[in-house]
Amino acid sequence: MNTNRYKPHLLVLPEDDDNRQIVNGFLIEARVNQRSLQVLQLAGGWDNAFDSIKEQYATQMRKYPECRIVLLIDFDHDQDRLEKNKNRIPPDLSDRVFVIGILSKKPKDICKETGMNLEKIGEELAKNCAENKTGLWDHKLLSHNKPELERMIQLVKPFLF
Amino acid sequence: MLQRLYINNFRCLKNFDLSVKEMSSVLLIGKNGSGKSAIRFALEVFQKIGRGINRVKDLVQHKDFGWGQSKSPIRLEIEVLLTGQMYRYVLALELPEKFKELRVLEEQLLIAGIPHYTREGAQVTLSKTSRDVEAKFLVDWHLIALPVIQAESGTDPLNIFKTWLSHMLLLAPIPSLMKGDSIGETLEPESAGGNFGEWLSGVLVRYPSAYSVIDKYLREVIPDIQDIQNEVMSKDSKSLSVGFEANQATMRVYFEDLSDGEKCFFICAIVLAANKFYGPLFCFWDEPDNYLSLHEVGHLIIALRRVFRNGAQIFMTSHNPEAIRKFSDENTLVLFRDSHLEPTRCKSLSEFVASGELQGDLVNALILGDIL
Repeated sequence: MNTNRYKPHLLVLPEDDDNRQIVNGFLIEARVNQRSLQVLQLAGGWDNAFDSIKEQYATQMRKYPECRIVLLIDFDHDQDRLEKNKNRIPPDLSDRVFVIGILSKKPKDICKETGMNLEKIGEELAKNCAENKTGLWDHKLLSHNKPELERMIQLVKPFLF
Repeated sequence: MLQRLYINNFRCLKNFDLSVKEMSSVLLIGKNGSGKSAIRFALEVFQKIGRGINRVKDLVQHKDFGWGQSKSPIRLEIEVLLTGQMYRYVLALELPEKFKELRVLEEQLLIAGIPHYTREGAQVTLSKTSRDVEAKFLVDWHLIALPVIQAESGTDPLNIFKTWLSHMLLLAPIPSLMKGDSIGETLEPESAGGNFGEWLSGVLVRYPSAYSVIDKYLREVIPDIQDIQNEVMSKDSKSLSVGFEANQATMRVYFEDLSDGEKCFFICAIVLAANKFYGPLFCFWDEPDNYLSLHEVGHLIIALRRVFRNGAQIFMTSHNPEAIRKFSDENTLVLFRDSHLEPTRCKSLSEFVASGELQGDLVNALILGDIL
């Protein structure tokens, strides 16, 4: 009766509470298959999020080949944060680990720019995915996610929507 | 859609003003005894009035006066936006000295700011009738006027308001009280779920297509479910049972023998169907996560939040971290009071964040008692 760990599923690891609220909005969008997604407890910072792949989730990811994980982190205006930290993701799992997030220090910066709250941001992003539109993903604080997003469209979207 | 609730001198709620405009889903959190369920009891007064109960003593009792202060009236006000019109219903109840039973001090219904009727004591004034004249009549002080005022048609605003009140779902299920046996049908579930069988029968008799919604949801949460049967036992009674199928074997279980959590899945399924077929509804579910496995809590909350939108509205209370995490700063309201002698106060979680009283993980803050 649980999320079937033998079927494709996505674990979401939010860095902090703001990112968690974005995921809530994403889940509210009715076209998201919420049973293929499970939100994990807050990582407590982007650094911990990277660490936890190896320390907490690698074993079960190896046990369940259909398990994917996405880290939701703040990029703190560092567009190269993913490149710089890629080596912290075990090579045998790298094709199933995704890292996306907002470019600024705080996700709420995008709220100020768009006039939407965090849930609404998440919902809009899900809506754009469901309708194959770039929409809000093109925002200057989100556009750096494009390469990861393209990987997710291939490897995650087919079972998430 | 509920816009505002004002409650004074009712249980722990004193001068309690809850504004929930545009909030389709709301989570109420707070320590035990902070007043979450008191809000449900206040809403239950309105619901009962909508369902035709008009004897004051059947709605409110002496013990409902805040801190036993019966010298001040109990005041209940509700503002609801329905089909583009604002309804404001006000009820004040008093217990004069040497009286044994509460009575109506004041009652009024305003639609779009215009009085539909007003009442002081026994005197009711209907502001406008179909003949465009004012009408006055007397109603027993111990009876609420709203249920006895006749709506002129199904589309009469008075009927729209009464129907909305009666269809409010105020749930605090006690699975051990939920039986699958039913005599008759209803669209008005009891909060503990005691008439669950009648409610399911009522929804399916009135809206047969609702079965598809119920079936779809139940298959998601109980994948080995095969069917639901509501077998006729005698002329008036039915008995609900659930069939399961796995590995080419089948078995049938009476509804009352399901687990507590599975019974809550059934309630959720009917809530989803009810909102679709006779909504948009208002639902208040006290601790919907009770009895559920940790894995299912988040899914159930999200399933409800997804559906209660576009005019529908759901309030939930919870102490469960997984349920709490499925809401955000804007739609989480914190209830608190300093002691049992103090009234309940309410603040949005956003206010705690803005003031710096809450930083970091909310659940940790709740465990540590930092924000309450």
